[in-house]
Amino acid sequence: MNRVLTLAAYNVRILLSERTWFFLAWALFGLQIAVYGSLMSKLVSTAVPNYLFFYAIGLMVITVFDSGADVGRHFVEHAHEGELPYFLSLPVSRGGFLAAQAIYGVANTMIKVLPPLLGVLWFVGDLTIQGAVFALISMFLLGLGITGIMVSMSFIAFKSVDIYSAFLAGLSALIVRFSTVFYPLIFMPSFYSPISVFSPLTYGADLTRWVLGFDPNFLLNPILAAAVVTGVAVGTLSLSARIVDKVIEGVKAA
Amino acid sequence: MVILGPNGSGKTTLLMILCTILKPTSGTAKVVGIDVVEEGTKVREVMGIAFQEARGFWRHKPSSILRFHASMFDIDPEKRQDLIERTMKDLELWESRDKMFMHLSGGQAKRLETAKVLIQRPKLAIFDEPTSQVDLRGKRKIWDKIRELRDQGSTIIVATNEVREAEYLADRVTILHQGQRVVCDTISKLKDAIAGGDIVEVDFEDPVSEKLADDLNGLGGDVSLSSDGNQLRAKVSKAEDWVPRMTSASYVAGAKISSIRITEPSLDDVFLHFTGKALADQP
Repeated sequence: MNRVLTLAAYNVRILLSERTWFFLAWALFGLQIAVYGSLMSKLVSTAVPNYLFFYAIGLMVITVFDSGADVGRHFVEHAHEGELPYFLSLPVSRGGFLAAQAIYGVANTMIKVLPPLLGVLWFVGDLTIQGAVFALISMFLLGLGITGIMVSMSFIAFKSVDIYSAFLAGLSALIVRFSTVFYPLIFMPSFYSPISVFSPLTYGADLTRWVLGFDPNFLLNPILAAAVVTGVAVGTLSLSARIVDKVIEGVKAA
Repeated sequence: MVILGPNGSGKTTLLMILCTILKPTSGTAKVVGIDVVEEGTKVREVMGIAFQEARGFWRHKPSSILRFHASMFDIDPEKRQDLIERTMKDLELWESRDKMFMHLSGGQAKRLETAKVLIQRPKLAIFDEPTSQVDLRGKRKIWDKIRELRDQGSTIIVATNEVREAEYLADRVTILHQGQRVVCDTISKLKDAIAGGDIVEVDFEDPVSEKLADDLNGLGGDVSLSSDGNQLRAKVSKAEDWVPRMTSASYVAGAKISSIRITEPSLDDVFLHFTGKALADQP
């Protein structure tokens, strides 16, 4: 366990050494809320009360998704910069290695999401410790699920980085657009809404909104959302553990 | 143990299997009695590998990379810094300690790779072409440190296609060719296995008599005399056995020897003998 933490800490230190990216991410979040979010909120406020809040949480969920994707890219970079064989030669089980990646992913996500979350809650006058903690737990579970998906998909990169990049871009477009991050499910047309239920972001976004007290009439059943988010996290992490153990062989990627 | 073979002979694949990065497609492999497939984590605890391609963190400094490596292998934190400093100085990396990995030369990166294993002092230390891209002075330093590690009790496996490196480091040599182990033995036994592998050149003060020439031919090996009869050249299996018999015969015949030169076959000759191809000719 100590070695897993040492490995994770080393990755997190690398992350913290690139703090400019965090300031940029926070600044972009603020800009997006201030310009696009506030304008959209005025346009749709008759249909969705407090759309700015709805939108801000959606944007945070996208940040969680991007951070999870970062972990996948980080993993692939390890392989293509020749570091993966080194990591695989360290005295850590393959599961421990994956856990270290997941801890890195969680740290990455929390650093990017926590300040915007606190900022948004403070701005809407709903900043409570309870709300912030439950929202973080919800996004943490979603982040684990996305990390699991991305690491599971990373084996594609061992065949071709180009295909992996194209696949990731396509997957991102589908998962984000066909979800409830920007629009409540009840407003989606019938040809569109069935696809949304296949996006984990739908459940993560609605669960986070529910724990922060958004009107449940616009959201999925929270028990269903919590079950799906947890199931995706457990399922994809188990799958990625199996892939790391059975499929990925570092030297082939070097 | 040195694994000798040309590029593509399977050296690196074998090492990757031993250090659990690759899984064997068939058969079993054990490191200090531990199965590499069943108990990979335990294997990784007792072995260390210096990769053929230096594996580093591009934006990190050598000292930081070594500190991380030491912490992963539970090197005593109190001794860690001193050990890292000493090893870096031994390998002439100390001056580069604050450079980023991506700014190191190929030779420095290789030395850093070696340094990881040296500070770790594993039971089984694997070096995959440890001195490729390293200058001559650096090669000798790395070789000496590897031998020092062996003297401290580590089992060493070195994969190389450099004959000189193999000669310097090997207690035993395994020749790999096209993924197959051709032979494994000590260098002297491998060389002795080549019939006529030792070349003995003898200079006599006076031309050799016909009788002595016949006697020397009867000692075995392929013996030839120079046209003036003063020089003899013999290809023999074991020079250490043949030379005393030759000096006795010369003494009995009253022939005075002015010099004797013995040339052993190189490992390249050994490779040629066992595989039918010269090491240098391989791709």
